[in-house]
Amino acid sequence: MAEWNAFYQNEEADEEQEEGEESAVNYKVTGRDSLVFLVDASKEMFIKGEDGEPSNFDITMQCVRSVYTSKIISSHRDLVALVFYGTEKSKNPRNSFKHVYVYHDLDEPGAKRVQDVEALRGERGARLAADTMGSGEVSLGDALWCCSNLYSDIKLRLSHKRLMIFTCMDQPHGGDSTKDRQARTKAGDLKETGVVIDLMHLMKPGGFDVSLFFCDIVSPPEDESELGLQVEPCGKLDDLQKRVQAKQQKKRAMARVNLCLGEGMNVAVGVYANAVTARKPSAIRLYRETNEPVHSKTRTFHTQTGSLLLPSETRKAQVYGNRQIVMEKDEVDTIKKFYDPEIFLIGFKPMEKLKLHHHIRPSVLLYPEEQQVTGSSCVFAALLKKCTEKKVFAVCRYTPRRNYPPRFVALVPQREEVDESNVQVTPPGFNAIFLPFADDIRKLDTPQFPTASDVQVDKMKEIITKMRFKYRSDAFENPVIQQHYRNLEALALDMLAPESIEDFIMPKVEQIDRRLGPLVDEFKELVYPASYNPDSKPAAKRKTADAGGGDEKKPKVEIPEAELRAHIKNGTLGKLTVPVLKEACKQFGIRTTGTKKQELMDALIAQMAK
Amino acid sequence: MARAAKSALVLCMDVGFSMSNSPPGEEPPFDQAKKVIQKFVQRQVFSESKDEMALVLFGTDATKNPLDQDGQYQHITVRRQLMAPDFELLEEIENHVRPESQQTDCIFSLVAVGLFIQRIKMLVKKYDRLNIVLLTDLSTQVSSDNLDVIIGNLGKLGITLQFLNFFIHMCDPENSNNMGNSYYRPGVGKGLSREQKQGLEMVRDIMLSLDEDEGLDQVYTFSEAIEQLFMFKHIERRPMAWPCQLTIGSSLSIRIVGYKAVTDEKLKKMWITVDAQTSKRDDVKRETVYCLDDDNETEVQKDDTIQGFRYGSDIVPFSKVDQEQMKYKHDGKCFAVLGFTKHDSVWCSLWFQTIKMFAPKDDEHAGVALSALIQALDKLNMVAIVRYAYDRRCNPQVGAAFPCIKQTYECLVYVQLPFMEDLRQFSFPSLENKKFTPSESQLAAVDSLIDSMMLVEEDENGQKEDMYKVHEIPNPAFQRLFQCLHHRAVNPGTPLPTMEQWLKDALERPSAISERCQAPLEEMKRKFPLKAVEKKKELKTGAQIFGKGSAEPDAKKSKVDEEEEEFNLAKISEGNVTSVGSVDPARDFRSLINQKSLPFGEVCQQLTHRIEQLLSNRSTHYYMKCITCIQTFREQSVKLGNADLYNSYLQSLKKSIPNSGLQVFWDLLVQGMISLFIGEEKKEVETEPAVDDAGDVDDLVSVCLNSSALKYLMFVS
Repeated sequence: MAEWNAFYQNEEADEEQEEGEESAVNYKVTGRDSLVFLVDASKEMFIKGEDGEPSNFDITMQCVRSVYTSKIISSHRDLVALVFYGTEKSKNPRNSFKHVYVYHDLDEPGAKRVQDVEALRGERGARLAADTMGSGEVSLGDALWCCSNLYSDIKLRLSHKRLMIFTCMDQPHGGDSTKDRQARTKAGDLKETGVVIDLMHLMKPGGFDVSLFFCDIVSPPEDESELGLQVEPCGKLDDLQKRVQAKQQKKRAMARVNLCLGEGMNVAVGVYANAVTARKPSAIRLYRETNEPVHSKTRTFHTQTGSLLLPSETRKAQVYGNRQIVMEKDEVDTIKKFYDPEIFLIGFKPMEKLKLHHHIRPSVLLYPEEQQVTGSSCVFAALLKKCTEKKVFAVCRYTPRRNYPPRFVALVPQREEVDESNVQVTPPGFNAIFLPFADDIRKLDTPQFPTASDVQVDKMKEIITKMRFKYRSDAFENPVIQQHYRNLEALALDMLAPESIEDFIMPKVEQIDRRLGPLVDEFKELVYPASYNPDSKPAAKRKTADAGGGDEKKPKVEIPEAELRAHIKNGTLGKLTVPVLKEACKQFGIRTTGTKKQELMDALIAQMAK
Repeated sequence: MARAAKSALVLCMDVGFSMSNSPPGEEPPFDQAKKVIQKFVQRQVFSESKDEMALVLFGTDATKNPLDQDGQYQHITVRRQLMAPDFELLEEIENHVRPESQQTDCIFSLVAVGLFIQRIKMLVKKYDRLNIVLLTDLSTQVSSDNLDVIIGNLGKLGITLQFLNFFIHMCDPENSNNMGNSYYRPGVGKGLSREQKQGLEMVRDIMLSLDEDEGLDQVYTFSEAIEQLFMFKHIERRPMAWPCQLTIGSSLSIRIVGYKAVTDEKLKKMWITVDAQTSKRDDVKRETVYCLDDDNETEVQKDDTIQGFRYGSDIVPFSKVDQEQMKYKHDGKCFAVLGFTKHDSVWCSLWFQTIKMFAPKDDEHAGVALSALIQALDKLNMVAIVRYAYDRRCNPQVGAAFPCIKQTYECLVYVQLPFMEDLRQFSFPSLENKKFTPSESQLAAVDSLIDSMMLVEEDENGQKEDMYKVHEIPNPAFQRLFQCLHHRAVNPGTPLPTMEQWLKDALERPSAISERCQAPLEEMKRKFPLKAVEKKKELKTGAQIFGKGSAEPDAKKSKVDEEEEEFNLAKISEGNVTSVGSVDPARDFRSLINQKSLPFGEVCQQLTHRIEQLLSNRSTHYYMKCITCIQTFREQSVKLGNADLYNSYLQSLKKSIPNSGLQVFWDLLVQGMISLFIGEEKKEVETEPAVDDAGDVDDLVSVCLNSSALKYLMFVS
């Protein structure tokens, strides 16, 4: 199943960000995230690998670029900066630090910045770097100090501060203990203000020894079980290079309501979406001349007087049975009001009563809100436990907001699941599945067919077994959205063509064919007769093809008057087709303006009655 | 052309003499019949059905019908020709249908109606179904002379008959709660008059000969009919077929047809906006204009705008044409299997609708092939993951096809699965926390609560009875809307009615359950202490936030008083202030000066130190604090008549501003404060204004914090 698994491997979303979010206990994070890339620009970074492998500097720029472009899509409000140290020239706010070159200030990333970084890549990038910055003395302490100034110059509220050091030197100061000490102190200061320092150590001949110096610089791992630092040249780099083109979602409750078990027994729960259809970001309207954004204003006015109408000067209406029924706006609202927002327990049903296909909306997850009603979590945990044990689900009436008609939901217990490394796979809680009303279910005529024989079924089983794979819900990217982002990127960065996307939801026909081999033909032999071709057009359409199109029909169209009269007399005129009726009209010299059947028929009847 | 087909329905109501007779204390059959008709027409009006309806009354004093010739077919009135039902019809029923005093043989009327329909049919209107609904108490003498002919004729016309009869004594009480299933059972009819029995026989004859199987199911009593007609008809939409091919790899394909089976149904009609005075829609017009973000809000034409998308901090112009050209394109309609996976690995989904896939009706081979797939999936407990595209214009989806095997049919059920972008994978703290782990007795309480609230129970026969079938409840939003619309249409000018009782009941816990769960619920309440946390954030009204505008001067005044007061309190409560802290340095400073335990100079030094410290944070919140400090510093200096320290501090602060990047702070201070330096208004304090560049000083003469600056600060922090 290797190929199928290959489907998914590079899909792990930007761990950096996710971890950052999860670790925040109070998940109602406000403010923006910030990230500073502190990149070593000393000569060693520009040395190329033996067989034409890109230099460390090149790899770093690749990373930075990919983070920039990912950030732009996933959370463009986050702030990013790029700072080089160990440069010849200096450029920083008050030019108080030597050998520190602030290439990009902490700011929202944009097209220009991506292009800047792009320019630093490859052979030409190295030359450009040498020209603009050069390589010189290294003082990590100064660099860190400069970074701390970057942070403190920001007037916005920052929720998460991260600093990444990219270097291939395990002893940046070559053993200069004063500088080492200075760097340690500055790193300490930074950490104190809540900055997380990460080391992205790159390849170095002879290996990178973290313990020599950097172990004192970086922030201790958040997870205590993770022992020490990674010894391998950083695997995190791969993570950084991953393209993440999905808008990052903040964890937010859709609603906070009471789960009412009965009179006076209210448990507070938060309602969270499991999945929401992601759409292309909405377009912004721009003025053609200047490309500046315009905003829209909608107003309501009276057609006769031209005066603007206040909301109170209009009413709402609907037309039914040829009558316009008028209501006040607040009446329209009260009609929608049934209950106050709540989830009201009706009762329980055994799990097998839940019809799989009777869902009408994406399910939501309920999780207790201890902050609103203390004791909620305990009741919730007990209910969850018991419902799981007894294999039942709860039927509830759910009113998400005021003036919102109720829906019924099935609360299906979901136990917490963790993987080997104790990472939560599924959170604990009740999945609320929306149930349809009578109106939502359509009656279908179900055709009946003979069921397949065991031999046929067994053959299909073989096919299915050959095509098994492990489904993961995050395996498929939406090609429509991905293509849109790539297009946008290409336009913004003046690229010749957008980067191509991989369409994950395209069947891998060749692989499937190879895998199934002769099974397909064997199955077809079992179920289809030799003459049958499932790819041909349905039978009805073939008939018209056999008849040779409409041309032949024309001569037949004429109809004797007597027959026509008989039809009219018996009221069976409707059985004739429109072309026949048209022809008949011509025959009797009736001019018809309409082409509708009823009109033709009316005209004919009128003529005949004369 | 199935869509064009309509059905026609003729309501025949007996308004004759016997209909208004009833035993005392009971509703006369006439009233009941009228109610049935009203409810029925209402339903038709709101379901917007194209079905046409006619109303024929018999037993009327007058005669008005197309067959009225030579004294035949007397006392039959056609109140309304076949046409779509509307409110006029409802009003007509309300106002013009009243009991009259003639008697007509109902079977005879049937003949009349039959002929009537025949005539209409001749007028070339085409219906795919013809119905006659006869509302009568059958208490008139019926002649059975021409029965055969009548039956023959009705049958020929393909008319189905429904009898709504009024048999008071036949309503058997056990059945009265059971919606829908109660119908007249022959033989129960005790207490019928001879005529009624005879009439019934006749009806039975007709019904049986017209429709052998369920002829008698079509005979209802009035009260049953009313019960059935209580609710407004629910929406029925004709499912559209979606023919396609299920493909596995390149060479295996099975022809299928998809139908939407379950979907969140919405009403077709929207509210329209009308003018309040004239109630005319055309009087109101909405328009959208686009304006530039300049001070004049210059309007620009819609044609002069293009669309763009945000790319980080930039906006990239991206015209619709370009977008169309560059967008993801695919080959259109498809239902291709990507692979198969375990049933239970698919749990999270975007179920907006479910589509059922069958083989085409006329294609048995496809049926067998599909059946093989369905059976195999079912046996292996697997599902197919498929790529689904409705057509070329629609975006492709990824979804799962589940096997669904019913007694009468088999099909694949397709549901959409989320894309990676759609997922919100949040994690939550574990509930296996010691703090929240329920005790054994608590679990037992929950256990008994669940037991008492089971909605599905086995009856004596081992049959599982579901007490609460959600999928049989009509959408309450529609029901309520129709109720209100109907009320407003019929009784304009009166307030809206309350919710109908049956609807209320349908949405509540079944009474049997609520009784049973009383005790376990009480137990739960005892076992689980719940306490609502006081809500800090109440709904804030605009007045609370902004309403202070007028009262501001007062507020300010009282604030000054308060400060005095607070100050006194502070003296008492915080007698042990020893240094200027960082929490409220201004107050500390003031109390230290009041205590006079430390020399003025030292206190000032502490304060300025604090200010420096706060400023180094470079956050507007701290700026605010610093401004307060400086204000207090100034105020106390003036009070003590010692301005040297203050002025020199400010001087040095000012000098340091350009280097420390604190221009914002300085601007705020300058804008918001007091004349910075002490001098001009305090003549008794003999100090020179220590500033040379008087330019600054001049625009600093405002007394209190400029309110706009204050607001700015509040919003920022």
